[in-house]
Amino acid sequence: MKNRSGLYASWERFGWTMSAPSVLFLVAMTSIPLLSLLVMGTWRIDLTNPMGNRWIGISNYLEMLQDSRFWNAAWVTAIYTVSTVVLQVALGLVMAVALFRQVRGQGLIRVSVLLPMILAPVVVGLAWRTLILTPEYGILDYLAISLGFGSKPWLGDPRWALASVIIIHTWQWTPFAFLVFLASLHALPQEPLEAALLDTKTAWQRFRYVILPMIRPAIVIVVIFRTMIALRAFAAIFSATGGGPGTATEILNLYAYRVSFNDLNLGYGAAVATLLLFLTLAISAIFFRMRGSVIS
Amino acid sequence: METDFKGPPRAGRRCAMTRFTRRRFIETTAKIGGLLAAATAAPSFVKRTIADEKHSEYLKAKVNWRQAEGEQLKILVTPAHYFNKFRAITPHFTELTGIKIDFEVIPPREMREKALLDLGAKTAIYASHTADPMYLPLYEANKWVDPLDDYLDDPTLTDRAWFDLDDIIPLWRAANQVKGKLYGMPVEGECTIHIYRRDIYEQLGLTPPETMEAFAEAARKSHRFDGKIAGAALRGFRGPGQNMYIWPSLFLAWGGRWFDSAGNPQVNSEAGVKSLEFYCNLNQNYGPPGVENFNWPEIMEAFAGGNLVQYIDANSTASVIENPNKSKVAGKVGYGRWPKGPSGRRVTSIWNWAMPINGALSPKKKRATWLYIQWLASRPTQMSSALYMEGPDAVVRTGVNRISIWTDPQYRKVIAFTPDYADVVLTSLKEDTDPDWRPRVPQWPKIGEIMAVAVQAALVKQKTPKAALDEANAQIAKVMRE
Amino acid sequence: MFSFQARKRRSLMVASAGMTYIVIFILLLVWAFPVLWVVMTSLKMRTDIFVVPPKIMFKPTLEHYIEALKTQDILEGIGNSLVVASGTTILTLMIAVPAAYVFARVRFRFSTQTSFFVLFTEMAPPMGLIIPYFFLLNHLRMLDTYTGLIAMHMTLTVPFAIWLMITYFQDLPATLEESAAIDGASPFTTFLRVVLPNVWGGVGVTAIFAFIESWNEFLYAVVLTGSKTKTATVAIFGFLAAEESRWGPFTATGVMIMAPVIVMALFAQRHIIKGMTMGTTKG
Repeated sequence: MKNRSGLYASWERFGWTMSAPSVLFLVAMTSIPLLSLLVMGTWRIDLTNPMGNRWIGISNYLEMLQDSRFWNAAWVTAIYTVSTVVLQVALGLVMAVALFRQVRGQGLIRVSVLLPMILAPVVVGLAWRTLILTPEYGILDYLAISLGFGSKPWLGDPRWALASVIIIHTWQWTPFAFLVFLASLHALPQEPLEAALLDTKTAWQRFRYVILPMIRPAIVIVVIFRTMIALRAFAAIFSATGGGPGTATEILNLYAYRVSFNDLNLGYGAAVATLLLFLTLAISAIFFRMRGSVIS
Repeated sequence: METDFKGPPRAGRRCAMTRFTRRRFIETTAKIGGLLAAATAAPSFVKRTIADEKHSEYLKAKVNWRQAEGEQLKILVTPAHYFNKFRAITPHFTELTGIKIDFEVIPPREMREKALLDLGAKTAIYASHTADPMYLPLYEANKWVDPLDDYLDDPTLTDRAWFDLDDIIPLWRAANQVKGKLYGMPVEGECTIHIYRRDIYEQLGLTPPETMEAFAEAARKSHRFDGKIAGAALRGFRGPGQNMYIWPSLFLAWGGRWFDSAGNPQVNSEAGVKSLEFYCNLNQNYGPPGVENFNWPEIMEAFAGGNLVQYIDANSTASVIENPNKSKVAGKVGYGRWPKGPSGRRVTSIWNWAMPINGALSPKKKRATWLYIQWLASRPTQMSSALYMEGPDAVVRTGVNRISIWTDPQYRKVIAFTPDYADVVLTSLKEDTDPDWRPRVPQWPKIGEIMAVAVQAALVKQKTPKAALDEANAQIAKVMRE
Repeated sequence: MFSFQARKRRSLMVASAGMTYIVIFILLLVWAFPVLWVVMTSLKMRTDIFVVPPKIMFKPTLEHYIEALKTQDILEGIGNSLVVASGTTILTLMIAVPAAYVFARVRFRFSTQTSFFVLFTEMAPPMGLIIPYFFLLNHLRMLDTYTGLIAMHMTLTVPFAIWLMITYFQDLPATLEESAAIDGASPFTTFLRVVLPNVWGGVGVTAIFAFIESWNEFLYAVVLTGSKTKTATVAIFGFLAAEESRWGPFTATGVMIMAPVIVMALFAQRHIIKGMTMGTTKG
């Protein structure tokens, strides 16, 4: 919004006062912990061998470069994150576009689609592991057998396990993308939209040239947030596979957890977590640029 | 009676009240006072009598139970029937000592994290927790917990004769010692035994296996004999407390040793490779589908549902599989010790829940904590909790910590799933032991993790057993060098 | 020719309507099915839960629900979760919505940097922060308190709520505030009376997500609460005990803890629909 000369001062002040509570709150709550995390990453803090704890600068990071399990985790993270975010956004978009003009049953659709998100991630992981994917007892495996597809080691084979956790995560969070896009589509000014849609263009052209540009900011925000969440995913994967079999589903976040709370190597774990933080920052910054400036 | 009462001499004449009224007044007051005194004394008198009854066993100890009266302690525990029982009867402790206990019930992994945070940060929030004995060396290395010997040797705190430390299962006490001192008191425990379908064995003419070979043979013969049932299962789920709760028994049964005399790890020795191959072959060929992710609950469910012929795992699973409401095979189960490995040894697991004392507490709180630990590990409490049923569907305690209770007829009656069940467990605990069943070093969390990954990698054929163990061995060597 | 095109369009519309119904049906099935399976498990008798082949037809029982309700922590846990999640949602909306508005629509110094900083605070993995937070809350004596946990949850919901609302504010026509400003309205009145009513839909969606995030949160809840403020997500694990995993009561509790969220979502729904219909009438 352009500032009018007489109102400049009051709007500027308004900007500060309205954003102050959030900003101050976040600064107060997160600055010390974030700093501690950074500092811890430069120390050697190993509870299993407390004699050697001391400041070691960037040694943790150097060690990371040579750590094969770290690189494995990075690779798994890349596959996991890209797959699930792409799937979530694509599916969410398709569903939203297909359904936003459907007025009847909106409520029912929205609530039933919300259900996966409402089920707690810890419960989701366990339920999928035990009730759905267990060979023979699990309903999905049973369906696979009945449909002639055969029983698969859904969580027992490294590649299937990765596919399974990607599916679980996508299943749980696509509704988010769906709902955000739905609300976005509904909020668009209707006239230009109607006008464009009445043109006898193909559905694809309609989508690409009319709808897509209008909800681009929403798409970018969804991508940023889903990427952040995928990078931080923990509860569902952990209860489903524990990072296994072997290290097939051990994403960076899980690896950081394992190092910190299992191996009790807090310094190194903090370094991995810090790396994850900067990775998230870098990816988000790139996407952020793509959405254009904050103010339209 | 008016004429009997002699009021105060002379003073009465000056008083406004007549002698008569004053006397009545004093009399009545006295009566009321007496009644009041009697009323307040009576409940505590009655209470003390009832309390004495309930606490009579404890009062035999020459210990002042009330020396830490008024203290409030927080203790971390995990969801488990035995801790539920302990929690249910802890109010007796509060009555006896005046010490209030507040429990937090959290899943095991998170509980350990919280305990570690509290100990490491020295925030002294939790007076004690139900610790994994494999972590005690770590606690000791960081000086987070007090040696219990100090408390055991203090006559004002402990009546050693009454407490009878030697009655507590020696294997568990040994497992909880670091450098010769006890750091955690065993309050509940278990061991692994061979559990099998007696009826199927009879049907196929099998005898309970004495050796590993025979065990594999029995698995082979019974696998899918009816077209469906799996021959055997051993834990596949990856984790220091999961698949690494079973494989070490195999490793040692093949004669393996974790470290040689120079301190070098030996997991990739021939014993290691052969035992891992046995484990993989058994699970791959005769295990139920999905066994590579099975932890004990899944194995137990498979068995209880009639889909598994036998397994080797915790003796506590008996309580569930012998319950007709929860299991289709109740009454058809047989129990035996671990089969012998090629070295001639049988090696069972060593597991107990150890209660330490948080070193960051104030001295008075530490004394209070010790009183609770002593009370919990004492014979009367262990016995009463073993017989306690917290609900109609309650599971029986199969892990009391005292030999005297294991040989007590009252307890044996309760756990008589089969006539020999108690003996199998007791013998396993006495003889099939090895204190170095798993390496009790501060680096155990890392070592356990390395081995768990290696064992599962071999099971799912990601690596060959030899390759997995070679890699693990190198990693362990590196860890020990740091 | 006109009628031919009209008929073609009509049949296209019918076909697309039919397609839409099929899409809807498949959607509901795929998405709701695992949850339905959990619900069904909670109603099965214990011996029916792990059978081969899995039972689709079974005799239902309410025993697991009764059992779960008799377990004291569960009700307490749900109560605590309600307090924490409601508190988090309300406080989050109160500070996030105004902030989102000014980031989206008001040009003031450092607004871009500040808004990105807000996003940044949520980028650290909670795993890495749990240790410093433990210390911090212990120092402030906020462990095992509602305030402590709400504050922690807000660090997760506020950045996200701000950014979500920014997208909704940005969708509003640029001229919206101008007419109000001409009338001499103060910024705050403009915000309250003119802008806000147009984004109720977005507020509703944000509220639902914030509530869900807090309600289902586990990591902070398990480490930073104690026996007084234990939430439902922690309490539910009481059924996965050392001696057996009781899937019946576990799934029953899982279903029960979904209920308040569904209620809340239905409630917020009305705002969303209101927002949608208002959207169609704006110029």
